[in-house]
Amino acid sequence: MPSRLSLPRALGLAALCLLALILASLLLGAGDVGLWASLQALLGHADDEARFVVLQLRWARTELALLVGLALGGAGVLLQAVTRNPLAEPGLLGVSAGASFAVVLAINLGASAASLHLGVATLGALLGCTLVLLVTQMRGVGEDPVRLVLAGAAFSGLLGALSSLLLLWDQRTADEMRFWIIGALAGRPLDTLSWSLPGLLLGLAVALPLIRPLAALALGERVASGLGHHPQLTRLGTLLAVALLVGTATAAAGPIGFIGLIVPYIARRLVGSDIRRTLGLSLLLGPCVLLFADTLSRLLVRPYELPVGVITAFVGAPILIAVIRGHRLPTL
Amino acid sequence: MTSLPTLLTDGSCAAVRLEARGLSMGYAHSQVIEHLDLLIPPGQVTAIVGPNGCGKSTLLAGLSRLHKPSAGAVLLDGKAIASLPSREVARRLALLPQDASAPDGLSVAELIRFGRQPHQSLLRQWSEQDQAIVDAALAAADLLELAERPLESMSGGQRQRAWIAMAIAQATPLLLLDEPTSALDLGHQIEVFELIRQLAAAGKTIVMVVHDLSSACRYADHLVAMHQGQIIAQGAPSDVVTAELVERLYGVRCVLLQDPLSATPIIAGIQRSTRPTEG
Amino acid sequence: MPRISPPLTAHCVLRLGDYSLLLHRRSSTVALFLCLALLLSSAWILAFGANGLTPWAALRAAFGQGEPMQLLLIRELRVPRLLSGLFSGAALGAAGCLLQTLARNRLATPGVIGIDNGATAFAVASIVAVPTSLAPSALALSGAATAAVLTFALAAGGGARGYRFIVVGIAIGALFGAATNLMLARADIDAANAAYPWTVGSLNARPSQAVWLLGGGLLLGLPAAKLLVRALSLMRFSDSVAIGLGVRLRLMRVLSLLLCVWLTALAVAVAGPVGLIALVAPEMARHLCARHGVPVLNAALCGALLMILADWLGRHLLAPIEIPVGIITAIVGAPYLLWILLRQSSRSSP
Repeated sequence: MPSRLSLPRALGLAALCLLALILASLLLGAGDVGLWASLQALLGHADDEARFVVLQLRWARTELALLVGLALGGAGVLLQAVTRNPLAEPGLLGVSAGASFAVVLAINLGASAASLHLGVATLGALLGCTLVLLVTQMRGVGEDPVRLVLAGAAFSGLLGALSSLLLLWDQRTADEMRFWIIGALAGRPLDTLSWSLPGLLLGLAVALPLIRPLAALALGERVASGLGHHPQLTRLGTLLAVALLVGTATAAAGPIGFIGLIVPYIARRLVGSDIRRTLGLSLLLGPCVLLFADTLSRLLVRPYELPVGVITAFVGAPILIAVIRGHRLPTL
Repeated sequence: MTSLPTLLTDGSCAAVRLEARGLSMGYAHSQVIEHLDLLIPPGQVTAIVGPNGCGKSTLLAGLSRLHKPSAGAVLLDGKAIASLPSREVARRLALLPQDASAPDGLSVAELIRFGRQPHQSLLRQWSEQDQAIVDAALAAADLLELAERPLESMSGGQRQRAWIAMAIAQATPLLLLDEPTSALDLGHQIEVFELIRQLAAAGKTIVMVVHDLSSACRYADHLVAMHQGQIIAQGAPSDVVTAELVERLYGVRCVLLQDPLSATPIIAGIQRSTRPTEG
Repeated sequence: MPRISPPLTAHCVLRLGDYSLLLHRRSSTVALFLCLALLLSSAWILAFGANGLTPWAALRAAFGQGEPMQLLLIRELRVPRLLSGLFSGAALGAAGCLLQTLARNRLATPGVIGIDNGATAFAVASIVAVPTSLAPSALALSGAATAAVLTFALAAGGGARGYRFIVVGIAIGALFGAATNLMLARADIDAANAAYPWTVGSLNARPSQAVWLLGGGLLLGLPAAKLLVRALSLMRFSDSVAIGLGVRLRLMRVLSLLLCVWLTALAVAVAGPVGLIALVAPEMARHLCARHGVPVLNAALCGALLMILADWLGRHLLAPIEIPVGIITAIVGAPYLLWILLRQSSRSSP
């Protein structure tokens, strides 16, 4: 067993990391405004252009990364706990695909208000979650972590193809969605944050009372019942919370994969697998990972930018292989 | 059951010598067998017995070229088995592994036909001899009535007979069986053992790993007792099996009786040994 | 006197002196019917929508007889597209059948384990990121090989459980998919447009060079696959049984994996990642042949049929918008994949 940090120390470390990454995200960019100019702008000394770039564009983007990272990190931990599967990840299991398909469909049908996306995406995520729940309840499939992932891949493939079909059908949707559909934090409308925040808070509020029952569920359904919890109710509640979180994140930034895999993996490594310890840490680590990936995406191919999903995939896929190659899959 | 037709045993069936010389085998981190020498007596039934983890299945895997030895060699008619082409070996040595599994939907006859594959080639896919031998193997294993039944619909004993029939259809002088009766009830065990005796009577050399010492004594001509990767005794069962040997092998005390029909040893009155066992 | 066992009811034996061939009746009949169906649907697709052109006239035009206008339409436009569909479908069907048998898992197809994405990534690289004179086909081949080797190497250490191998494949596929996106994001818009068909799977205006390369590859690959079938049919048993019957397991694995990579890469170089054909076609063939043996040739025929039908559907479903064939096969294939996955119990031998 790797040496583990105490929870306060891990939280402190993560918070420090987060602060550093926020600063990096504000100071580094793909464009002309360099490090020094950004620093000046932050202190209020630079010209208007630099101040606009740093305080408006980069600041909004950083805020969005914080929000989306928090939502996806939290959703990853919750989904892994409820499926008791270290491979469960909203992107891999088709929850994100459900959300993004729902948004594409809504735009295709004529919806244009951005705030509507939140509700629609949550509904789509709920659809994905329901599938996950159904699959985990099936005899012989639910116990096998790997088959759940394959079912998710098939489901994502289907919804991805349907989304492409809708985009082909309707050029207007295609233009509107081109960047959103691959997942990106850049260029989102400025009001995105204000309408996403309630979704995030609601999702966390639903999740909060479920932490103790989920910790009990980790010991098995019978034990959880014996301890006075209601496994079925816990599951439904958790999936609702996951749907809210993933729906919010997807509506805000498009489907960004692998965050929900990377974050719980690191958190488990640091403080062990008890959800009461990992959830809080993940809420800090999620924004860290996303900010890191986003900052990197601006720097790697300057002056262009990468979709942030590319970076998360490059980090996440090796972790997926590491988990699957592990001597045996850890049960959660 | 009738006696075996000569078809299954003639031709290639001149007695074959299978031996292990200085054989060491093991897995990544542990050595299971070290420097083991063994000659399988031709034309007889050899049973390998011993406690769990003594290396008997590993030895069988080595004898049948499933696992490569880390040192030493297995010789088939004096030639290292690893250096012979695999098909060539399959014409002289048939194997029934413990984890034998077949694809779904295969019928008994289809399974047995696969046993002819080592003798076939691209341009000789089904000779009249193939047909005759499959018929004979079906008859020998008493499976004529079940020939078209799918394998998964059969009872454990019938399925095991079908697998043995496939090995018979290979028409090899040597037959290696890894725990052919595990997971079978008493009636089915006897069925399988009697089939094995018939094959031996027809001149085949048989090596089997057996869990139950009394059955091994009753149906084998030659007993090989293994403990911690070494052969600690071998010979005719009634000569070799003593209360001391049983205690050394399994760490239990027992009384040896004599089977009133076959006059072979039976283990009875088993108690946990008070003496600490070796290792 | 032992009774005689039932004769080989399901087979017929062709004998000539010492030589003999064993033909499975049902498989042979199925193959004949599939060929017939391919011929009919090819003629129909060639003739479809062209005024006053009967399927028969279309077939004649394909072989160079008829009016000049018809000849132009059929020979210059429709025949190349039909051929690319037939060839790529056949290659993917056969490759899927090989890989499923090799991995003893019906869900292991070149698309699922990342071979498609590897081929796509390398092909896109040749177009946008690394301007080379190498044809995309050659690079697709090396990409497919890289992905296959990576998947097998990384999955091998974690135990030979079939499903692990598939998830490693999914991860490798995700990596190559991300690499493709990376290159597309860096590329200028023209190069990105040129690379687009590679990313969805489409038969629209494929380079004829790649089509002929694929045709040649099939000419080599299908007979080779047919030669492997006898050994492959033993690989459906557990390893120890196969070794006991004289199969050189490692050699056979390497050969069939090579063949699978070869066929997949050439098909991807023509049609892009239309992976789900490789899942559905072998399954269909197995079903038609009453689960007998390893139906490589029938899987190839089914793949060709499915591919040209899916392409036809894509062209006419939302006309004048053309749906890439990859999207059609994904919409049909993914629910099917889910269905097998959820229906089958813990065991899953092909």
